[in-house]
Amino acid sequence: MTTPGSFSTDDDLLVLHALRCCGHTGAARLAAVTGMDESAVESELIDLAVAGLVTYEPGEFGAWGLTDAGRVADAQRITQQLEAAGARAAVTAAYERFMVLNPELLDLCTAWQLRPVDGVMTANDHSDSSYDARVLGRFTDLDRRAAAVCAELAAAVPRFGLYRDRLSHALTRAASGQLEYVADHIASYHTVWAELHEDLLATLGIPR
Amino acid sequence: MRWIRPISAQVEESAEILGAKAHGLVALHRLELPVPAAFVITTEACRAFLREGSLPAGLGAELVTAMRGLEAATGRRFGATRTPLVVSVRSGASVSMPGMMNTILNLGLTSEATAGLAAETGDARFALDSRLRMLSGFASALTDISDGGVSAALDRAAARSSDDEEGRLADEIQAAQQLIRQRCGQPLPDDAPRQLELAVGAVFSSWDAPRARTYRELHDIPHDLGTAVIVQAMVFGNRDDRSGTGVAFSRDPNTGENVPFGDVLFGHQGEAVVSGRSPTRPLDELHAREPAVWAALTDALTRVEKHYRDACYVEFTFQAGRLWLLQTRPGRYTGAAAVRVATDLADECVITRHEALRRVSPRHLQHARTPRIATSARADVLARGAGACPGVAVGRVATTTDAAVRMAADGPVILVRPETSPHDMRGLAAVAGIVTARGGPASHAAVVARAMGKPAVVGITGLSIDAAGASVTAGGRTLGEGTVVTVDGTTGTLALGSPPITTDAADMHLHRLLAWADEASGNRTERDEVQRLNAARAALGHAPPE
Repeated sequence: MTTPGSFSTDDDLLVLHALRCCGHTGAARLAAVTGMDESAVESELIDLAVAGLVTYEPGEFGAWGLTDAGRVADAQRITQQLEAAGARAAVTAAYERFMVLNPELLDLCTAWQLRPVDGVMTANDHSDSSYDARVLGRFTDLDRRAAAVCAELAAAVPRFGLYRDRLSHALTRAASGQLEYVADHIASYHTVWAELHEDLLATLGIPR
Repeated sequence: MRWIRPISAQVEESAEILGAKAHGLVALHRLELPVPAAFVITTEACRAFLREGSLPAGLGAELVTAMRGLEAATGRRFGATRTPLVVSVRSGASVSMPGMMNTILNLGLTSEATAGLAAETGDARFALDSRLRMLSGFASALTDISDGGVSAALDRAAARSSDDEEGRLADEIQAAQQLIRQRCGQPLPDDAPRQLELAVGAVFSSWDAPRARTYRELHDIPHDLGTAVIVQAMVFGNRDDRSGTGVAFSRDPNTGENVPFGDVLFGHQGEAVVSGRSPTRPLDELHAREPAVWAALTDALTRVEKHYRDACYVEFTFQAGRLWLLQTRPGRYTGAAAVRVATDLADECVITRHEALRRVSPRHLQHARTPRIATSARADVLARGAGACPGVAVGRVATTTDAAVRMAADGPVILVRPETSPHDMRGLAAVAGIVTARGGPASHAAVVARAMGKPAVVGITGLSIDAAGASVTAGGRTLGEGTVVTVDGTTGTLALGSPPITTDAADMHLHRLLAWADEASGNRTERDEVQRLNAARAALGHAPPE
């Protein structure tokens, strides 16, 4: 095979695909996303850049991102991985269950950010801890149902297990008072959820 | 009857039993406005269903009797081959839970009834389209597939199909039936009364869907209320090009100005407006295209306003040039619009000045202070959507995240996208304001916009983005990347150029209201607006907020 990158290890696919799902980002965040060491991520990025699959854009919002060739290579390899595991049916079924949960997750993020006061949608200033506790309680309930979906996904394609860890991590942080881990942080529940959504679309080849 | 009430001017029961929607329909009947024949299954029946896990004893027989009533009122026959009666089955709780429960339209369109409707109207496409809407409603209600998943499956079937429109509809109908058979282990019965029982059970069950439960937890709504179910003769907004559907406010909900405001969609049924899948037109286009419908609608709005003694909202459908009202409620305006409506209604002697003061909460004044496009500005409005994060941003249009990041080095940028995903995070971080064609106030773009405090408008139907051509088209006008636009996230407005922005609520309506407030409190000292209003409300027996 002469496809760029197809000869390499799974770690490079993990990094390549993380860029596909997160958009442009830096090595530190890629390390958090992939569960790899930052130095290992950097070394993969350098190899991927040599193969023409990723590129670094300098500047104020400077970050690593996929090239067009990188996008094509990622789609091919992620599809190969899915088919080789015979996991398309399982991932499709899990995706459908995810899509049932998705509007509820977005409702919860909205309720976290806004609440009606005298009929006016008002920014939640988080001064009412009982309200916040109620919303977080519903997050926990949703997360239990999401965990079942993540478990099905991880059983089909192990890489999806990373999302379970990241979602738990975000919720634990939020519950311990780091409120930005609900919807305002780069590792927030909402951000990880959106990346999982993107990953499912990319893996199944569903256009947005 | 124990579980069912016909909807008429004579019904006396409360919204707790009938649900708010049916209660509103009763009010429309009393105002002698055109409402399609309907009956309501009470919230009590829902509670019994939730307790027992099946339709309560006797409801089946009552449904048969009630359907005979609808047949008599419409001169049509349920499930029949000739002049078939077609009904909608909708949820209607006593509290508002928008979009949380199931709805099934066009129920009764068995394969035979569909053929009958096609023969009656001479329009096979219309009949098939209506049957497809019923089946996709059932597919969402009976399976655990989301609405989006069902429409995606149908779109795939349509894409595989031949070019002929009737053939395509037939293929989509097959796909919907296949989906139901696969997921439920049995096909949807091709029997109208059986379909009705299934639909009623599905709407009752949707009260306890996890998303609905979560919504109630968040909004302090008891879980044991249950929902009523309204069964109503269908009017067809998709009947012909003199048909359509829409929503209307009696006054502009953004400004409070006393002009009808809303959206209309020609040639479609109601769920198309709510789902945002089809581009709507501004309400006043009805005036030119269907003057009789417009006249009837504005008359209805006036009468409903008089009934509620408040601005109001209606959902309507018109079929072959005739107007029907499907739902109504008071308008529940906020911010500057609430101030203006209250003062105008007092000036029109509909309510007293004291009542006007009671209706405006201090929150509305604070809300009115959020920066927005000045109403006096006569801004060149390109399009409207849902305001997702309040505030105003002015900047140059970018159609991709890459362009947004590049352009942000030279000044504020507005990112305009079909919708957003994690790929756009870098762009969202770099820009001053966000606009999307799809999605509602809970979409990814809306959640991120609020997290970042950036003014955003989402769900602008008819907005298209040509990233390759670096242009966007909104309201029929095409703008190149770099064009300056203004985003008003309070009113959901996208305007061309940079119209004047106002941050103070000191318009003449507020001045009048505050003068009445000082009169009521007897205190004319220098204080801020909220204090003046609170003093008046306290004098009128309203405790100030904590």
